[in-house]
Amino acid sequence: MTGMKEVREMSIEVPVEPPAEYESLFIPVPKEFVEDAYRKDDFIVFIGPQHPGSGHMRIIVRLKGDFIVEAIPDPGYVHRSMEKLAENRLYVQNIPLLERPAIMDFGNYNLGYVRVIEEALDIEVPERAQYLRVLLAELGRIGTHLYDAGILAVFMGHTTGFMWPFAVREFIVEALTHITGARITGSFIIPGGVRRDVDEKVLRMIGRIIFTIENRLEKFERVFIRNPTVVARLKDVGVLTREEAIKYGVVGPFLRASGVEYDVRRVESYEVYDDLDFEIPVGDDGDGYTRFLVRVEEIAQSMSIIRQVIDRIPEGDVISSDIEAISRNDIRGSFYDALAKITLPAGEYTTLTEAARGTLLFSVLSDGASNVPYRLRFVTPGWMYLKGFMESLKGERLADLQAIYGSFGYFPPEADR
Amino acid sequence: MPGMLEIMVQNMVNIPLIQPLVDVLLKIPVINYIVALILWRPIFAVLIIPGLGAIMLVLMIIVWWERKLTARVQWRVGPLEVSRPIGGIMQVMADGMRYFFQEVIVHRNAHAIYFIQLPILAFLPVLLPILLIPAGPVYAIRSDYAIPAIVALIALIPVVIIAMGWASNNRFAYIGAIREAFMYFAYEIPLIFAVLAMMVLYGSGDPFVIVEKQTVPGILLNPVAALTFIIATVMATSRLPFEIPEADQEIAFGPFVEYSGILFGLVMTLAYEKLYLMSLLLTILFLGGWNGIAIPILGDFMPPFWLFLKAFVFMLIISLLRSIYARYRLDQALRIGWSSILAISIISIAISYALVLTGWLP
Repeated sequence: MTGMKEVREMSIEVPVEPPAEYESLFIPVPKEFVEDAYRKDDFIVFIGPQHPGSGHMRIIVRLKGDFIVEAIPDPGYVHRSMEKLAENRLYVQNIPLLERPAIMDFGNYNLGYVRVIEEALDIEVPERAQYLRVLLAELGRIGTHLYDAGILAVFMGHTTGFMWPFAVREFIVEALTHITGARITGSFIIPGGVRRDVDEKVLRMIGRIIFTIENRLEKFERVFIRNPTVVARLKDVGVLTREEAIKYGVVGPFLRASGVEYDVRRVESYEVYDDLDFEIPVGDDGDGYTRFLVRVEEIAQSMSIIRQVIDRIPEGDVISSDIEAISRNDIRGSFYDALAKITLPAGEYTTLTEAARGTLLFSVLSDGASNVPYRLRFVTPGWMYLKGFMESLKGERLADLQAIYGSFGYFPPEADR
Repeated sequence: MPGMLEIMVQNMVNIPLIQPLVDVLLKIPVINYIVALILWRPIFAVLIIPGLGAIMLVLMIIVWWERKLTARVQWRVGPLEVSRPIGGIMQVMADGMRYFFQEVIVHRNAHAIYFIQLPILAFLPVLLPILLIPAGPVYAIRSDYAIPAIVALIALIPVVIIAMGWASNNRFAYIGAIREAFMYFAYEIPLIFAVLAMMVLYGSGDPFVIVEKQTVPGILLNPVAALTFIIATVMATSRLPFEIPEADQEIAFGPFVEYSGILFGLVMTLAYEKLYLMSLLLTILFLGGWNGIAIPILGDFMPPFWLFLKAFVFMLIISLLRSIYARYRLDQALRIGWSSILAISIISIAISYALVLTGWLP
């Protein structure tokens, strides 16, 4: 006995038993993870699957104080097994199926899938149809970006920033209604062209709509984009450096926000994007605010593309002469005769498309005999940047989770397919 | 018992507009007790205006107004379907009725006794300050320490909210309660300093003295203190951009996440009631209290009317914040509270001392 007080580290062995539901509900947290968190006095919080603001997706967050140590995604709540469904449908029936993940962005989704068929069958698409496809794709891009801006705003409690983009998006929906007859999910692009020609009046109306949207977005910029509280919430939050963004396979505007100039429309140009003048907005910081600003700038670029399309669109057919249609301006009446018996030659065909939220991959494996795909692989941008999204959460505060979620525009139905 | 009636009648609110009716009613045997009781000054102050009746009126109008104003900003219509001819103002009543008949769920993990009684207990710190808030001749208690006592009683509300979060025994409620506690410290000190600055300026904690001295409204004498008080009010009532403890997208209404039915109705209105109390305090300290244009026909009702009107207009204006701002993060709000707001609150005390020492104040 020295008489000195011995300094000992005290720890209380509290029996830790993760709730039984963790196993029965297939929650992707190992037992050791929960026990370790309890012992280190961390806090495990389940965000979702029902959550005000977000879609159906669960993020399991391990918190040290207010800081996120680890974020484990639990997606799949809106999984609809589209790849399997696609194996039981005619090629042409897959068009409406495969645009479902991102209903606002149907132009790009149709385009990606239809180009697979055209590539396999060597179908030449008339120029007017190509311009109309670009028009649809860009309208969808604006609509999706506006939708995501609204979700970002509501995540940060800015209800005006939620309502205004949704109201502006209504103009886009109106334009899509005039072109396709449907507000969303138009299924307008078919192998060999588009379903039917678009009237000159409609194109002029879209020009006016673009003008209106531009004006409204100026107001939106004042109230939301430059709002000091918004800047404070998004600046330097959820940073992905250039190297990290490439490493985690982030795509689309979120990759460009980290300083990588990659856009499929430029790199592997399709349709008439080569003839159109547009810039690819690139950011440097890779934080939430840059990810948002890049998309805001993309809206402006898309509007410029739409103006060019309206100015330059040539006269002519909208359905390829490779398709046996009664009329070259309207597929109605000969739809199934022309398209139902499509059979791809044996082989694998892949296309990359720049959808609104990033690179979209369609890959069809055909056995050469059946009129349905043997296997269809379909990777959406949401699924691609989920890893980057989770990595950018680490080290941020719990309140930042919503801001980062919004800054990625993560859309569970799109990622889960 | 006749003595009781006489005591009440002698100290009755005198409103010339309804005096003939009161005279008639006082001759009817049982009704006269009720009328005399309601019009007895202390009871009138607590029950009618600026007390319970005014709070109910405020709740009814301010919730509707906030929704309607936000809707106008956002290119929407807002509540309309309930009572279409008067612009949907009955919507709040309909919501209240829905809350009332909804099942109150007390979940298994909750500490049931506290969980149920706290929303009701929360009315104590809401109604007690009313005793001390005078409206000219209509008041319940007159004290030299009324202003500090009001601030102290209002400061009890967050304690109840934190207790609710604790009794809910839910992760989100727990995080919300912690956030509420953090915010409480961030705004309470600047708020007390701002009130202190005005008490230094007027040299008293008695609302009667304070209002009497405000020939020039306090907001012009010490605008810095007014600014501090307004920002602290926004933080205290957890309105955007400081709606941090309740942040519905982050922690699903925080301390109130487990409440349902009428209990949720009670806790939801807590922030509005607090806003009303703080608006009354702001009116007394900065906006000249119950001073206003004389309306002889209202008699004793005139001072409460002006006090209520000023506080109410302030509330209507502050409702606009909701459609302008996003929500700050907790650490950002704390940084604002502990640095800039605290600094300007100290400056406001210095300004008050300077005004008093140089003898600028009449």
